[in-house]
Amino acid sequence: MPLGTIDRKPPAFFKHGMSALSKLVLFAILSVLLMVADARYGMTQPLRATMSLLLYPLEWLSLRPRWVIDEAGRFFEGRDAAQAQVQAMSLKLQQQALRSGQVEQLSLENQQLRRLLDLRERLSSSALAAEVLYDSADPFTRKVVIDKGALQGVQPSSPVMDDVGVLGQVTRVMPLVSEVTLVIDREQSIPVLNTRTGARGVAYGEAGGAPLLELRYMAANADIEVGDLLTTSGVDAIYPPGVPVAVVLKVERRAESVFARILCQPQGRVYGARHVMVLEPLGRQVPPRPPHERSGTLPIKGGPR
Amino acid sequence: MIMPRGQQLLLPANPWFIFFSLLLAQLINMLLNMVVLGNAAWAPDFLAVVLVFWCVHQPQRVGIGVAFLFGLFNDVQQSSLLGQHALSYTVLAYCAVLIHRRLLWFKEPKQSLQVLPLFVLAHVLELLVRLLSGSLFPGWWMLLAPVIEALSWPVVSVLLLAPQRRAPDPDEHRPL
Repeated sequence: MPLGTIDRKPPAFFKHGMSALSKLVLFAILSVLLMVADARYGMTQPLRATMSLLLYPLEWLSLRPRWVIDEAGRFFEGRDAAQAQVQAMSLKLQQQALRSGQVEQLSLENQQLRRLLDLRERLSSSALAAEVLYDSADPFTRKVVIDKGALQGVQPSSPVMDDVGVLGQVTRVMPLVSEVTLVIDREQSIPVLNTRTGARGVAYGEAGGAPLLELRYMAANADIEVGDLLTTSGVDAIYPPGVPVAVVLKVERRAESVFARILCQPQGRVYGARHVMVLEPLGRQVPPRPPHERSGTLPIKGGPR
Repeated sequence: MIMPRGQQLLLPANPWFIFFSLLLAQLINMLLNMVVLGNAAWAPDFLAVVLVFWCVHQPQRVGIGVAFLFGLFNDVQQSSLLGQHALSYTVLAYCAVLIHRRLLWFKEPKQSLQVLPLFVLAHVLELLVRLLSGSLFPGWWMLLAPVIEALSWPVVSVLLLAPQRRAPDPDEHRPL
């Protein structure tokens, strides 16, 4: 048997390197520092972007099986299904034709009214179509990863919606992919408007661990009913106004609290969306606030006399 | 080196095989996430199993530094807190290096009982880190993950040791 065919070799006498314990301490401190830098200061974005670029080939590879299944499914999808879809669509189109006639008239009227009030034209944001690649594996958050990144012009904090309603917001942009935090994530909040009453509020994600939204800080006697549609209000300078967010599912008025507990069902398909739109945040279109004008009556401490 | 009576002498491990087995484990994790399970809390982490395996069998080559690096990549891929998996893998690799001499005296089924606490520790560490950073408890199902990982230990051991169990002098009657 030639030399070097057996794995067992004596350990080095003098060249040991660092001991396991000191390595443990070193790397544990390093990871704690990284966590603090990530959670508190958000300084790790360049590191993440580089590593995500290195991981991209693996990601591409692991998305292949789903792609194959999808293609096969599309191939075997019968003509009947397509015809049924066309019929349903034409029915829907007929129903909507009536409405769209009204919409033209209403938007004309709206335009005139706005001009009358000397308001700015309604803001329109540019959109970018993207596809959801996968749910992020972290069980503690509700995020999805989409296939457009900084190279395609995605900006952080852009709102993301599907064809039904708001889905979430881009929270981290990598060179080739970006992460979207869904509206049902615990740390996500969105300003909403009740379309029935016109009352504004803020909806928070993950009410009691369920994939729902919670409309917080609404008084117990507030006018809100099950089935009310909540849309974006547009006061946040991020989401365009009037996009459906959620429908009120349950209203609990409790004696011990001044606030009602209001649970809402998200309208965007937070669990099954494939094709989404990434909108440009409105804040970039809104002009900056005018400089604060000093009123002559109030003396300003330390200011020029 | 003292070794158990009757244990087979193994061929040297190929460093490229070690590297690709770790990459493959990461790929399997990603496949499980993207195609099968989504972000289920009980999804087993096979990268942790393979890391512990190599820390036990090749502590000279795969140690705490490698575990830390793979943990960082896992954090980026899962978009979790950067350093969360790095910390748990560091501790995991340290424990694996601590028990690596003792562990090889047992057969594989008994080994899996011995590595179970390691995986439990790694998951508890991740949970603690996330609870401290303000996340909610994702459910009791996550206790299943370390059990699945420990159960997969014998299978992983047989698969990853197979290249080292080939014959040292292959001929045409015994090609492998």
